[in-house]
Amino acid sequence: MKRDHSEAGSSYGQQGSSSSSVAKGECSSMSSGKAKMWEEDHDPSSGGGMDELLAALGYKVRSSDMADVAQKLEQLEMVMGTAQEDGISHLATDTVHYDPTDLYSWVQSMINELNPPPTTAGNGTSTPLLCSSQIEENPSRAFTDDSEYDLRAIPGVAVYPQNDEPSNKRLKTYPVAEIGSEGVEEPTRPVVLVDSQETGVRLVHSLLACAEAVQQENLKLADALVKHVGVLAASQAGAMGKVASYFAQALARRIYQIYPQEPMESSFSDVLHMHFYEACPYLKFAHFTANQAILEAFASATTVHVIDFGLKQGMQWPALLQALTLRPGGPPTFRLTGIGPPQPDNTDALQQVGWKLAQLAQTIGVQFEFRGFVCSSLSDLDPDMLQIRPGEAVAVNSVFELHRMLARPASIEKVLGTVNKIKPRIFTVVEQEANHNGPVFVDRFTEALHYYSSLFDSLEGSASTGIGAAPPSEDLLMSELYLGRQICNVVACEGTERVERHETLTQWRARMGSAGFEPVHLGSNAFKQASMLLALFAGGDGYRVEENNGCLMLGWHTRSLIATSAWKLPPLSSGGES
Amino acid sequence: MAGSNQVNINESRSVVPLNTWVLISNFKLAYNLLRRADGTFNRDLAEFLDRKVPSNSIPVHGVWSFDHLHQTATGLFYRIYLHESHQWRSGTGGTNYVIPDIDKPLSTTEIVPVIIFFHGGSFSHSSANSAIYDTFCRRLVNVTNSVVVSVNYRRSPEHRFPCAYEDGWTALQWIRSRKWLRSGRPNQSESESRVHVYMAGDSSGGNIVHHVAVRAAEAGIEVLGNILLHPLFGGEKRTESELKLDGKYFVKLQDRDWYWRAFLPEGEDRDHPACNPFGPRGRSLKGLTLFPKSLVCVAGLDLLQDWQLAYAHALRRFGHHVNLLYLKDATIGFYFLPNNDHFSCLMHQINNFVNPS
Repeated sequence: MKRDHSEAGSSYGQQGSSSSSVAKGECSSMSSGKAKMWEEDHDPSSGGGMDELLAALGYKVRSSDMADVAQKLEQLEMVMGTAQEDGISHLATDTVHYDPTDLYSWVQSMINELNPPPTTAGNGTSTPLLCSSQIEENPSRAFTDDSEYDLRAIPGVAVYPQNDEPSNKRLKTYPVAEIGSEGVEEPTRPVVLVDSQETGVRLVHSLLACAEAVQQENLKLADALVKHVGVLAASQAGAMGKVASYFAQALARRIYQIYPQEPMESSFSDVLHMHFYEACPYLKFAHFTANQAILEAFASATTVHVIDFGLKQGMQWPALLQALTLRPGGPPTFRLTGIGPPQPDNTDALQQVGWKLAQLAQTIGVQFEFRGFVCSSLSDLDPDMLQIRPGEAVAVNSVFELHRMLARPASIEKVLGTVNKIKPRIFTVVEQEANHNGPVFVDRFTEALHYYSSLFDSLEGSASTGIGAAPPSEDLLMSELYLGRQICNVVACEGTERVERHETLTQWRARMGSAGFEPVHLGSNAFKQASMLLALFAGGDGYRVEENNGCLMLGWHTRSLIATSAWKLPPLSSGGES
Repeated sequence: MAGSNQVNINESRSVVPLNTWVLISNFKLAYNLLRRADGTFNRDLAEFLDRKVPSNSIPVHGVWSFDHLHQTATGLFYRIYLHESHQWRSGTGGTNYVIPDIDKPLSTTEIVPVIIFFHGGSFSHSSANSAIYDTFCRRLVNVTNSVVVSVNYRRSPEHRFPCAYEDGWTALQWIRSRKWLRSGRPNQSESESRVHVYMAGDSSGGNIVHHVAVRAAEAGIEVLGNILLHPLFGGEKRTESELKLDGKYFVKLQDRDWYWRAFLPEGEDRDHPACNPFGPRGRSLKGLTLFPKSLVCVAGLDLLQDWQLAYAHALRRFGHHVNLLYLKDATIGFYFLPNNDHFSCLMHQINNFVNPS
């Protein structure tokens, strides 16, 4: 079926140059009168600007490209109209789709699927509409998405194509900065709605009033309110009560100036982290989506080096190692540099983790090397410390680490500069999707209240097993403590102590763009497998994966909570590893 | 056949602005990928492709929004849109946080219509937080000075009839019982403080509006008006408009059939009353006095117009008031972009409908 169709496709393609230009001419002459009239009257942004009306609906199309996109849509329509339905079904099942916001590229990628250009670039089906600037005449790869996998064993692995060229799946790239300045994404702010019980309403009112009193330095009032909140919170059942208690404690610390909080041993914080990993899907999603991007970036590399900005217990890496063994040519040589904080008792926690991973690697037949690197802050890193070897493909991975750099001036720039100098194939970043770094305390407080309420709701949703609540598991309790410490930091701390400076994907995009990085898009295969992962591991039905301009977000119902993005350096400045 | 395909494409190109054509053709293309011949739906790809937007309590062009999750198990949430003049603030000192004062009505001096909105998508596509519908609802608030509550009802084929109607009913009950959605002058019997409910929907949303309105009327619950934007109705019979316009303006009859097969109980045909409320298995609404007045908007290039016109005429025969807005050159989806006269005409009509003076 597919074969038949591609024959039909290519024969169309050969006629394509003539019939499509005829169609184009026909369309132009028939509709240009009316179309132009509408554009002149109603198109506020002509030339290089984005069509504002479509932008409001989530689609970025340059006004100057509109006719081209229409042409391509017609072209696709014709091809799909003449094919049997089965003939195009692979577009839905096998083809990997990227960034649906960029209509031009999306439509073009499907045209390429049905009508692959010849392997030698620049001849054959070159028609005006395919000859856009800076295109790599790459057939868009069809990843065979083998969904038969038992995801329990190896979460999220796709079989990779024979195709060599891993980068630039897009035919037209819009530089990040340009999009940012044109279609300025306005800040969003969620609202707390408490609708049911009266105590819930009073609780939230009191919390916010207390935060306001704190901001106005009316400590007497704040003190009275925080005690009141404590009482109300204690009698409030469920996630609401827990969240309120943590926020009340944090407010109390701020009022009585009991900060910084006692530093927690990193071994204990790792324990909390592990329980959080078990209790809910956020970390699993983070690891899974980052690994997908790393796998794709490493597709043809024979020697790879992953630098993990926060190794902790190394839970992300077994799945990647196992996925690498499934590559058609076998696994590459694998090197892991795990970065972690200094240990108070001088035990080498990093080495222990490295050792366990080495044992696993040996079992599954991956040549493995590990190096632990201790530093108090990622801004202490310099590229030479990481001893990048020539010829190795490097991935830098950061899960919930970058935001900490925002606590000291110039730290984030230093870190991003270091990554830039390392010239990785890919830089995967997972961060909390929230703005907990605004200058106004009350705004931060409100944002955090909404964010952690959603998080705690999702934990509660995962834990409940129906009628008759089971006693909360250790995972759940530890997870709440894990999140509680974040709440405390956001609310009670300031200056360099306040490290939980979460920022939104929009904000991170701007930083990454300024630091010279370009987005690498996560596609529909990663999306689908992430959804399957959720179905397997997540207890609650409320988790949602969302695609956002090539990034993937995990949320609870309509509230996005974490975002995975992937980055690379533009071709000219990247080193020649391969 | 191939020749007529080419003619069809050019026809639709000539009746809508270019960016509208691109938008609706994009949906057509995407939807073709999502429907499978065996009746299943590629939900993962659908969610991947759908452009969604978060709610935002910061007013944008004068409108702000927030989400309320009503049933976590079904994902039933409402996205509530308000004009910035209805912004709740607590605390002193002009700080920016927002929390609804749930005991306080929208207004004690004027009536503020609350429009319950059911998005379209032929029962299978889109969500209340889809960008196209978020944008539409915002425009609706601005034009009508109302509060809009968009309902995220369950979709087919995963959730067939009557799930969407059940969710609509649940939404209606919840909205009617919110003190903070009330308006009016409390001490005057004519416009006492209560929730002034209207219901609106496009395509499948329009169909939902009808069925929820019938149920409300039968239960003695007052809905002030129905707004149906090229609502989804049909039947086994093939009407003249369906045959004449099949495939001509973005929509194919066989696709319509697919969506009914996905929504209706298995084995049912299109004369099921959900699809064909006044057909051979339908019922008369004569005497159902509480059934609201209707504004029915029909697009002149929609292949379903014969069903929609028949619906409007039937309502009139049953003694109910119908404003029929027939937009001769309009295609489906004309209201997604405000770049045409049909859009402004529709908005004007809706405003007059919910703000009668």
